[in-house]
Amino acid sequence: MKYWLTAFICLFAAAATSAAEPTVLTPADTKALIAPPGRGVRIVALWSLDCAYCEENLAALLAFQRSHADVELVFVATDPIGEKAALEARLKAAKLDAVPSRAYADATPERLNFLIDPTWGGETPRTLAIKADGTREAVSGALDAGRIATLVD
Amino acid sequence: MRPFLALVFASIFSCASMAQTHDGMAGMAMGHEAPLGFDATFDATGHLWVVDTVGEHVRARRSDDMGRSFAMSTIVNPTGEPIYAEGENRPKLALGPKDELYVSWSQPRKLPWTGFVRFSRSLDGGAHFDAPMTVHADRAEITHRFDSLAVDGKGNVVVAWIDKRDVEAAKASGKPYLGAATYYSWSNDRGATFAHERKIVDESCECCRIALARAPDGTIDAFFRAIYGDNIRDHAFANLPVGKDMLKVERATFTQWHIEGCPHHGPSLAIDAAGTRHAVWFSAADGKATIWYGQLHPGDKPTHLATVAAAGASHADIAVDGKHVWIAYHQVSAKGLELMLRESSDGGTTFTEARAIAHVDGGSGWPKLLLWRHRAFVGWNPDGHFRLVPTELL
Repeated sequence: MKYWLTAFICLFAAAATSAAEPTVLTPADTKALIAPPGRGVRIVALWSLDCAYCEENLAALLAFQRSHADVELVFVATDPIGEKAALEARLKAAKLDAVPSRAYADATPERLNFLIDPTWGGETPRTLAIKADGTREAVSGALDAGRIATLVD
Repeated sequence: MRPFLALVFASIFSCASMAQTHDGMAGMAMGHEAPLGFDATFDATGHLWVVDTVGEHVRARRSDDMGRSFAMSTIVNPTGEPIYAEGENRPKLALGPKDELYVSWSQPRKLPWTGFVRFSRSLDGGAHFDAPMTVHADRAEITHRFDSLAVDGKGNVVVAWIDKRDVEAAKASGKPYLGAATYYSWSNDRGATFAHERKIVDESCECCRIALARAPDGTIDAFFRAIYGDNIRDHAFANLPVGKDMLKVERATFTQWHIEGCPHHGPSLAIDAAGTRHAVWFSAADGKATIWYGQLHPGDKPTHLATVAAAGASHADIAVDGKHVWIAYHQVSAKGLELMLRESSDGGTTFTEARAIAHVDGGSGWPKLLLWRHRAFVGWNPDGHFRLVPTELL
């Protein structure tokens, strides 16, 4: 009981502060990140500071989520957590800072790529749709509303 | 109620502790925070030269014992400046015929994705380097990044890079433009000055390294990711004339990978004495991440196509000596990075099975194949500690 209450409060606190800086994503965190959600679809949007196509992808995913209540959205930067000030500033400037956000924290970024999606070559943007029934799909490149709908359906 | 409140506060404290733990990790040297980008080459007498970065400084080192120790270490730019020192944007090193040391790197500017290509030289065996110069005449605060460096058979220094001036011009006139352009320049006075830059091609990829290699006639060839049609990201091939001769750019790979994004995987090229262009490149066409080997025939499809590696493999480098071809690359797993090797002894017709020649739990800069007296070594810097990895089976 205590564990679950603690977890609930942590989640609540995390949600309440999700508009702030990105939080770390370690190899140990990836299991929960890619676990099937309780309901609906979790979209994991992988992006990086050095990717000129990523912000438009994040914006398209956010717009999609706003009209789909059963879609949970998480932004994951492949840049190291040490860049969190730059990541936060970039998201804020693009009005994307209301979405829960993570950043890589591992000496081998490629290992996190692998743990999140072993079929991924590291190209960005990369979008994963993880469904409650355990199925998942992933696609690379900037997506428009139509391609997001296809990915999620 | 009180026990409940106590639990709430305890939980919040617990969350704060977790956050503190995570924040503490931010101070660790992780991934890109400790730049791992390097370049390395042997000189004619077997000394190994390595360039990498220390903070805002490019460092050139010489080893007289195959990388076990360094007998000389010189800071190239005593006045520090920001340096792109990761992955596809590592500092570069090339040697001239009269023992010149040439070094180039990309310098980040204030705005995202902007940079200047920087260059410095040493004419006294690495004891001193000239003050760095910006290679391109264009000084707009835009992308001039992903520099590549080579020396041709006459000692001319060739630098190629990714450049967004044409993107800006298209934007200003309301015209569509995909990706960025690729430009190059050259120096025929041992790096004292550079010619006004020339465009190689419009609409090429904006985030992948450019492979440069010397052809048998001594000129420099470029092999780089370009865009065809609607964001099909394959590769182009061009010979880079030093002067005003015609520049011919031709498509050289046909994987048909469509991606409106950044592959972050540039190719590698090695040309043998007979002119056979051995190449490796990355594609994820049809969602299948693949490193390909092929022999290039610009304007036509490559021959001897072979899959070098699939999912989890990245950043292959290639070298050739006669009929011997080596390919080195990274293979990732939950345990870290394996440095992998495949070899051909019949000029690229067949390759050995892949074998791991080194491992690191942490990270490393991209592998760099080096040749010395018909033997190949892989320059590698696991966790930032440079070493030469032998390719021969013991």
